[in-house]
Amino acid sequence: MKSATALSLGATLSPVMKPFAQSGVDLSMWYWGEQELPGLQAYVDQAVAAWSDAGGGTVDVLLQDTDVVIPQFQTAAAANNAPDVQFLWNGIYHMESVWFGYLSPLNGLVSDAVLAESGATDLSHFEGNQYRVGWYPLQMVIFYNKVLFDNAGLDADAPPATWDALLGACDALVSSGVPAFGGGIQDGFWGEWYFGQALAQSLDTPGEAIQLFIGDLDFREPRYRECWTRLEELVVNGYMNDDMSSLELYPGIDKVVTGDLGMSLSIGTRIPADNAAMDGNLGIMKLPVFGQGALADKPIVDSQGLGISTNSANKDEAADFLEFLNSPGQLDAFWNVTSWMPSNVNWDSSVIEDPVVQQAWDEWNLGEQAPYVSNLIPAQFWTDAMFVASQSIVGGNMTGEEAGEQNARVVQEWRDFNPDLVENYQKWAEDLGN
Amino acid sequence: MIRTRNAFVPYLFVAPCVALLAFIFGYPLVKIFEFSFRQIRGFTGPFVGLRNYQLILNQPTFHDAITNNAKLLLAVPIIIVISVLIAIVLFERVRGWRVYRTILFVPYILSVPIVAVVLKNIFQFNGPFNETVRALGMEFLALDWLGDPNVAIWTIMIVVIWREVGFGIVLMLSRLLGLNAETLEAAQLDGANWRQRVLYVIVPQMRGIIEFYAVVNIIGMVAAVFAYVFMVTKGGPGTSTQVMELYIFNMLTRNALPGIASAVSVMLFIAFVIMILILFFLLRRSRSRELA
Repeated sequence: MKSATALSLGATLSPVMKPFAQSGVDLSMWYWGEQELPGLQAYVDQAVAAWSDAGGGTVDVLLQDTDVVIPQFQTAAAANNAPDVQFLWNGIYHMESVWFGYLSPLNGLVSDAVLAESGATDLSHFEGNQYRVGWYPLQMVIFYNKVLFDNAGLDADAPPATWDALLGACDALVSSGVPAFGGGIQDGFWGEWYFGQALAQSLDTPGEAIQLFIGDLDFREPRYRECWTRLEELVVNGYMNDDMSSLELYPGIDKVVTGDLGMSLSIGTRIPADNAAMDGNLGIMKLPVFGQGALADKPIVDSQGLGISTNSANKDEAADFLEFLNSPGQLDAFWNVTSWMPSNVNWDSSVIEDPVVQQAWDEWNLGEQAPYVSNLIPAQFWTDAMFVASQSIVGGNMTGEEAGEQNARVVQEWRDFNPDLVENYQKWAEDLGN
Repeated sequence: MIRTRNAFVPYLFVAPCVALLAFIFGYPLVKIFEFSFRQIRGFTGPFVGLRNYQLILNQPTFHDAITNNAKLLLAVPIIIVISVLIAIVLFERVRGWRVYRTILFVPYILSVPIVAVVLKNIFQFNGPFNETVRALGMEFLALDWLGDPNVAIWTIMIVVIWREVGFGIVLMLSRLLGLNAETLEAAQLDGANWRQRVLYVIVPQMRGIIEFYAVVNIIGMVAAVFAYVFMVTKGGPGTSTQVMELYIFNMLTRNALPGIASAVSVMLFIAFVIMILILFFLLRRSRSRELA
């Protein structure tokens, strides 16, 4: 049970939020994110100090490297030695830990208001329980260079909204002497971003994506392989930059910033710095619509989050800490230190000055949105299907139809390798509406 | 000095160290064998017999990994030939040979990630190498070194050769400096030209070190190229640079399938044991012939 002693900080909370316990308990927290959000480490240090000053005890923090975020936590959890609070990527990146029993449901620990308003997205739910609170959002966007649009005779304030309009814009950009669309796919992440946005257009629910990944639906059907045939269309028409296969994700996006590329997939956290570097000439848009699914045309938002390990002996105090991070003062501090928004919808966004950042907050975070279905991809599909198909299509070595065949084969392999996970995925698909 | 007639006493002295080594190396090996027959989640899982092996052997990605490791084995003779030839040139005491030796060894002391990142930038499609060859009118050399699946594995091989050859040169040179100078002088006095001296005098005397280096490189091309592949291409484009170590890494850390990763490790281990046994057999036969 949580202590009834309230901290003075409780007075700064929203009315629905309960006061924090004055625990004095030592917590541990492993997190990631400095790589994609410079300043996050400084914010965490600040938040831990503020928590301690408020009588919440100490928090021993560890900044993790990208490749160990999941295995380090899972290994520690299996050895009953996991931290109290763990950084969690969305979807399958934390759901497998849920199924292995490494994460504690937050319902009843964290207030319902924080669970609902923190921006964790639907992908944090399994069988009625929520396992993450949101921390900061990642809007999946397409960057475009307004100067290049003007030079090509395009309306930079009305970017293409349909696939045909996109093809027309690509023609105009190429005619003006710049590659129209692309970036860098050498490390594979561009493929994930594209797949997450393009596949969603063929889906009515996120659960449908899970059914595809476990083989209950078939990637060979034209509707589901359309994401790949559309990518092939861009390649065959010569719209992509010629060095895309040898460039990594971020250097590829940099080409839009430097005026060497018309459009590229990108992510919200890059907006402030890139728009400043482009003197305000950065535009953002959704992937133009080609699909017939109910999720088509909806802005896609992912979020990073935090959860509590089953091993934790201090779950109540850990929950208090998560609520503390979602208190108005800490939400403001997050923005002040990182120059990026927290995902909690109660955050006062009036401090935003950059109109493109404001657009991202208003259209992506506050409007009706779709979850990022790439977060539902089993790891084996990521490495053996998505990574391979996207690179092969961009390199001109695979057609969209062949990609559908290859995806279906890998799905079957995944079922063979992971028979114990199929049932959990099926339950999850039901949770997400199949 | 302690004297004893009991033959077991010396073994008792080394027993603690042997036990420690057996624990450090033997226990993980036993666990890897055990894991390879289980469907592991976390630290344990149900016994599945040979199923992990069947799944792996039927998977195209694993076939690609083996094929790419086999392609990288082609680097072994190239590394050896370059190492021997450059070492012999340096051995001839060309002007500034000590400086050249140092320069040639530098790539080997650079860490693989640094080498990989630098060369990765150099070999980008519009990077310095391609820009240079285009400027020189050699457009045919401006390949997509990292992005073309037909080229990427050879790019990895170039990077491996460029770095590993430095160690080979120093190794061969150290052997050359230990050769009998009288034999070389005698060959020269008998009228042997440079090629004849290399082929019939120098190389035969270096046979042992060349065989040793060949084995080290063969093992390296199968089990020590992960850093190059991971840093340069991550196995892509597609599966064109997928190797067995990366396959194990993906299965273990990304797919959370320690049973599968263990089964591949066991297959690699058995392959190495066979290769080392063959090596010992060849060395023994070679020595027998020399003695005869």
